[in-house]
Order: sequence, then C-alpha cells, then structure tokens
Amino acid sequence: MHPSNDSANGEQQLSSSPSGAGAGTPKRKLLHPGVELHFDRAWLQQLQERVDRNGPWDDWTLYQLAVEAEQSKLVSSFDDLQCLRSLPSFEPMPHQISTARKVLHEMSGRAILADEVGLGKTIEAGLVLKEYMVRGLVKRALILVPASLVLQWVRELNTKFGISAYAQKKDHSWGYDVVVASMDTAKRDPHRDKLLNQDYDMLIIDEAHKLKNKKTTNYQFVNAMRKKYCLLLTATPVQNDLDELFNLITLLKPGQLGGQNEFAANFVVDKRLPKNEDQLQEALQAVMIRNRRGDGGIHFTKRIVKNIRLKLSAEEQALYDAVTNFVRERFDENQGDWTSMLSLVTLQREVCSSRDAVFLTLVNMFKKTPEDSPVRAKIWQLVEVIRGIQANTKAEKAMELVREMNDKVIIFTEYRATQEYLLQYFRSHNMVAVPYRGGMNRGKKDWMMDLFRGRAQVLIATEAGGEGINLQFCHHMINFDLPWNPMRVEQRIGRVHRLGQTSDVHIYNLCTIGTIEEHIVSLLHEKINLFELVIGELDHILERFEKNETLEQRLARLLLEAGTNKDALKEGIDELGSSLSRIRDEVELDEPVDLGAVDAVLNAVGQTIEVRP
Amino acid sequence: MNERQIHKFVQRYLEATDCRIVEKSPAHFQVKLSPRADRDLTNRPYYWSFVDRTGAEPETMSMLLVTDKNKYDEADAAAKQKPPVPQKPAAGSAGAAGEAAFGRSFGYLNSTINPSARMAREDLHFGARRLEQLFQSAKLGGSYLCLFQEPEKRTSHPLHSTAYSAWLGVNMKVEFLCDMKREEIHSFGISLATGQCLEQFNDRLLQHKMTPKLPPNVHTAKNAITLNKAASIAEGILERKLRAYDYGWADAAARRLEEELSTIRHYYEPLIEGAEEEHRPLIAEQYERRQDEIRWQYEPRVSVSATNCGIFYLQGIG
Repeated sequence: MHPSNDSANGEQQLSSSPSGAGAGTPKRKLLHPGVELHFDRAWLQQLQERVDRNGPWDDWTLYQLAVEAEQSKLVSSFDDLQCLRSLPSFEPMPHQISTARKVLHEMSGRAILADEVGLGKTIEAGLVLKEYMVRGLVKRALILVPASLVLQWVRELNTKFGISAYAQKKDHSWGYDVVVASMDTAKRDPHRDKLLNQDYDMLIIDEAHKLKNKKTTNYQFVNAMRKKYCLLLTATPVQNDLDELFNLITLLKPGQLGGQNEFAANFVVDKRLPKNEDQLQEALQAVMIRNRRGDGGIHFTKRIVKNIRLKLSAEEQALYDAVTNFVRERFDENQGDWTSMLSLVTLQREVCSSRDAVFLTLVNMFKKTPEDSPVRAKIWQLVEVIRGIQANTKAEKAMELVREMNDKVIIFTEYRATQEYLLQYFRSHNMVAVPYRGGMNRGKKDWMMDLFRGRAQVLIATEAGGEGINLQFCHHMINFDLPWNPMRVEQRIGRVHRLGQTSDVHIYNLCTIGTIEEHIVSLLHEKINLFELVIGELDHILERFEKNETLEQRLARLLLEAGTNKDALKEGIDELGSSLSRIRDEVELDEPVDLGAVDAVLNAVGQTIEVRP
Repeated sequence: MNERQIHKFVQRYLEATDCRIVEKSPAHFQVKLSPRADRDLTNRPYYWSFVDRTGAEPETMSMLLVTDKNKYDEADAAAKQKPPVPQKPAAGSAGAAGEAAFGRSFGYLNSTINPSARMAREDLHFGARRLEQLFQSAKLGGSYLCLFQEPEKRTSHPLHSTAYSAWLGVNMKVEFLCDMKREEIHSFGISLATGQCLEQFNDRLLQHKMTPKLPPNVHTAKNAITLNKAASIAEGILERKLRAYDYGWADAAARRLEEELSTIRHYYEPLIEGAEEEHRPLIAEQYERRQDEIRWQYEPRVSVSATNCGIFYLQGIG
C-alpha cells in the first residue's frame, strides 16, 4: 500500500535491492537466527493523516475487491509454478516446464539454457521470468539479444506470457520495467553507463555464445552489470574450445569451475579434450540445462526437391539477351562503380522472374537517368522489347503445377511486381490466391494467413523472414525465383518444413535454362546441397565462406566480369561451387569429431526430448 | 479466479466506479468508462493532465470486457450466422452523415455519431494485464476506509442510543523471501476502546452491512488507545505467530548463501592476490559486487506490509 509508490519509483518496493534500504523508518528484528522481520508502516502514517484531516475515505466495495485480488494472487507455496494458471493462450511443452522448475528451484535463477535449436529456449526463459514476476521477485528485467531478434522477443513475451516488454528505441525506453534491446546498442555509450548504474532483478542474454571471449566488450559489459537472476541462452556453449565454456560459466557464477588455472589443471587435456569428465559434468549440471532431441535426431519429414527446367519463349529470350547486352554496355561504360552495377545485375535476375519486375526497375532507372543521356533511349528500347511479351512461361508452368497438386501451395518470389502479376494471373484463371509481404502490418498478415488456411489454395509471398508465418498445414512450395542469398532460401523452406510438419514437403524450383538462374539453382542445389542440409549447418558453411564478400556479391561480380563470355561465367561459378562443396564437406566432417569429447560431457547435462511432429 | 469469479469481480468493480454498462451477458460487458475508471485503466496520463489543466469535458473510452473468452466467441460466432437485422436509419441520419464527413475532413470523430467505431476488446482471464489493472485500480481506490456498522432496523427505538466503538482493521501481507518466495495474508482488528485484537477481522466485517455515514441514534465510545499503539498490538501478535513457524526454508537459503559466497571467495581471493598492483582495486570492486548480488539474491527475510486498512465503528464496546 504505497499510493505514492507508482511505477516511477516502484523500485523501492523491492526492499531487497542491494543498495536500497526500505522506505520510511522500518523496524527491524530477528525472527529466527539470520532471518530479519521487517514491518512496513507507511500505511499507518497515511491512515493517521486521513484521520486527522477526517478524510478522504475510500470505497467499501473497492476495499473488498482489493482484498479478493490479493487473495487470488497470493503465492501460497515456495515451489510450485504459479505462472501456469495465468497463461491461457498457450501450453508449454513438458520439458520446458521441467526446465523452468529446475532453474527456479535448483539453480536459484542463475542458469545457462543450452537446449539444441528448436526446443524452445525462449519459452523456458519466458516461463522463468514470468514466474519471478508473478511472485514479485522480479520487477525490472533486461533482455539482451541480437538486433534481428528484438521484436520477436517483445512479441513473444507480450502475446505468450502477458509480460509488458518494450523494445528499446529511444533513451527513455530504458525506464520501462521489462526492456528488450540489442547487445550492440546496450554496450555502447551513452547507454552503457546508464545500464551499469541500474540494479536488474533479472538479466537474460540470448545467443550467449557471443560472450565466449573474456576480452570482448560484450563479456566485460555483462560482467560489470548488477543483476540478481541471470539466464544465458545458447545452443552452442562450446564452439571451439573448452575455455569458452569456462568463460560463460564464470560470467554466471565465478568459481563454479574454479579459477582459470584450476580449471585448466582439473578438466582440460587439450583445448577440445576434457578430463575428469564426471566431475566436470557434475559442476556443469548445477548451472546448465541442455535438452536434446531424441536419438533419431529431429523427426523431420522428408524434403522432396524437384528442379523444373523451363525454356524461355522466343520473346522472353529476346528480352533476356537484350537486357544482358544492356548490362554489359553499362558495365563497360562505368567501370568500378559497383553499387550502380549491382542494380544492373538485379535487372538480369528479374527477367528470369517476370517482365513486370523488369519493367518496374527500368521505369525507375529511366527516371533517374539524366534527360540528355543516350541511355534513356536504350532503356526505352528495352521497354519496347517488353511489349512484345504476352505470356509468362514460368507462370503457366506454376499454374499447371498448382492444378496438378490440388493442394495448398506457397509460391515465393523475390519481387513485388512478380507477386502482383501472379495474383492477377491466378485470379484471371479462377484460382484464389492471397498475397503476403513484409510491409503488411501484423493484422493484415494474420488475416492473409487465415484466408490461406481457410479459403485460398495459393499464397504468394515475397517475404520468408519473420516467425509469424508458420505453414505446417501446407506441404508444397514453389520457388518461382531463387534469392542469391542462401540463408533466405533456407528461411523460405523453414516456413513449411519445420517442427509440426506431418507430411513430406515438396519443393519445386522453377529454373529457366540458358540464363543466370540455371547456374544459381545448380550452385545452391548441387554444390551446397542446400535443400538437404541440417538446420544450422548452412550458417557454418557461410561463416567460413563469406570472409570479405557475401556469396551474393561474389556472384554479381562474376556475372558482370564474365560479360557475354558464357564459358568464363560457367568456369567462375564452378569454382565457387567447388569451394563451397569443399567447405560443406569440412563442416560436415570435422566439427562433430572435433567436439565429440566436449559434446559427450555437455550432452550428459539434461534430458533427451522426443519431439514428434 | 475462474471465469465466474472474474465476471463477478468485474461487475462489482464497474458498479463501484460508476461505469455505464451498455450491454452485458454472462461472458462479457460492454462499458462506457467513468472518468475515474478511465484514469486508472486506459494509460492516458497526458490526456488526463490536459483535461485537468484546461477543465475540458472529458471524453472517456468504451471497452468490451470479455470475461469468458470461449463462451463469448461461441455466442459471437452464432450471432454472425444469423442474417443481420436491417438497421433502421436513425432520424436525421443525413445530418449525422454530414457531420461525419466534416469529422473526417477535420480529423475529428465524435463517438456519439460513430457508435460502430471499433472498440478495444479485452480478454480478462486470470493473469491478463487488463485484469491486473483492475486489481491495481481497486487497490488504489480501496486503501483507507472509515465505516460504520448499520444498525439492525428492528432494534432501533427513537429514544434509544446504541454504543459503537472504533476498531482499527488492517489486512497484512506477509512475505517469506529468499531467492524464492511465499506469502500469507493476515487480517487483524484491534479495538481502539479496549485494545482487544481479533484475527480474520475482514471476514467478520463482511457479515455486517457497513455505511460511510454515522447512523442516527448511535454514539461512539471514546478511544482508549492510539492508532500507533493498536498497530503495535497487531504487529506483536503477528510476530509471536511468526516466531512459531518452521524456518527450515531460511536455514536452507542461508546455506545456499554461504556456499555461493565461498565459491566466489575461492575464485576471487587468489585472483586478487595474483593480480598486479594496478589491477587489484578493479577486481576487488568486482568481488564486492558479486558478494552484494549473492546477498541480494539469497538472504532470507520476512517482510510485512498492509494491503489496506481502515477505522470501523462496530456495535458494542469491543
């Protein structure tokens, strides 16, 4: 009962804060050796004041309601999970609940959650946070995650757990009780000092393997923060050597594995070879939970991939050639200006998708070109070639496929214009299709999903990112065109082929022969074997491959430099391909062997979960 | 709280705060909030400070409060199956439409001419944020009371005066804290006339009809003890009860605390010793911080605060 103690200075309510003494003049006495009894008497003072002034007095009904509310929220036992009854919108899985219990009751709220990918570390962390909040043990919490995951965390905490979490956007956002921010922002000035001057009841760090190195600013920043409870989330507590494990655990509980030298002496033979495994495992068990998928690995259904090779019509081929020449000429004219060159490559990719996509880019390019430039006329010529095209070979094939399947199907394209064209094309053939794109607001996205689930056979999407689109009920996808960034392809597949998918998934790649697309499909499919990779593997491959330049950039460079020389292009791409498949083999071969001994210890911490679709 | 309890709770809240219930079923309420409820529930501090500063007529919000989601959705779906009832055009609808058009172009929307405006739907399940706000609002508006017991009708004789005495009633929340937590509620009533202390006082109050006004033909006995003294009596009784509790949980927490402290001591002490002179203060400071964190996390303690309290005048000399 602190009427003056609203959320602004509500921190005082946590009289346990290390620096803060209780408000007012508390009376302190011992109830039991080491157990202080503290009476908060602020209420008495308030009451006396009202008696003296003869009011104002409150309402009798509200008084009773306040008592009933307190009774209903009463935390009557130390060790049950109170939060479960206040989460009507979803049901956590049994291993998530048991993990939360363990963190709360055996680890006192400081733990590393090291589940394998896809078992729901976020849910486990959410359960722990919610439970502490329900019990009034946590009021202020900070969640540090990679920038790309901030909104996802905010949404998840709000919708699943009913926790008012805010994404840190402006300086004042730090004032909210539960804030989600990117690590990169938080550790930078002026935010850094502000956060280091706070007492956080709980700190959660996602992708905590980024804290494996003691010397990094990330590590030092987290080490310097004042926190009561702390959760570190990572699927890969050890990526390279055992020191990473030591650093991570020392951040959470210094001394748990002894000092640095002790650790090295007691537990390390070589950087990837532990000794005294039993003791190490015991020490780990006190701070880490690692749930793994059952032995059969994840029970994913099969992916059946089919490349459908298509020959462009004469008109389309004419456009492709015209555009290729155009790109060639521009490249020769302004050697070196890479940024403008990249948009030219886009043009070439767009021809493989639809004339509408090319048209839009050309119009924009026309607008940007100075009026007196001879290039304008050339662009206009291309537009003339576009006029000659009446049909879209790929769209016809896609329609044929959709009719054959007679089942829900999602079609992905990179281009808005292609999406519009396809929507119209399908509509004119009496096929119901709904769009989905990144720019839609949440409500509209949800609505489109509902339509697809209920009425439409086809969903045409330009965006695969965002966790909002879970399409386990759909077993077919058509890649109308392919992104050059393999991660984006994996994201697309991940929308359909994920936990909860009960059928085999059919993936169709539409691929026009004699174009750049043909090379891309062969590169992604045959060389990286993208469509059959285990989740997470692609990450490793790309991390090693893309040292200076992304795959996308390298492809663009190759394409431009090869010009009209088809052999040179093929040669370059083959070279890319073989270095990719070499890396893939390395990744597949060496990693598990290398960390085998470490994994054995890690894996003994926690349980095996059979996740069935 | 189950759905029925929540429904009842919400109904009593709405009535107590003078909200206008526009429509209701056993699964929902559609309400126009009272200014008081609006202040507590709609998170519009800027709007209300504007109203307070300018004295403008406040426009409160409407809400659809769903207390039983499943039942409401079922009923809603059933209603949608039926063909819509043709709407009778309201008198002067042309005028209203005109006004609406003006409204659109001037960016002004009056809720009275736009009754179909989207109303925020709130599902009030246990644990829902909006319900939590209702709880908070109830607490804010029900903290300090001064009430009189209503005399039973038949005993009232015009010349007869009944003696009342004042009681301090207080509902206390006891929190048993360490890295975990448990709570209890204790309700005490202390007679300011005699110092007698009753437990479960709140239940006793609920048996009477209470009124904020001093009833006729009633006189109040003089207080013999101060509020301060009365509070001390209650605290003393509570303390005696608490002393008899089992503190196994606290001993366990203290053991955890010691273990944790010794773990970090084992880590930091050699580290500080082995460090170069210039780095020592920094590491020592870090050690200090870790120790503080551990105490903050584990230290067992019991903390007592009041949920709400009041002066209650009850019949008889307590």
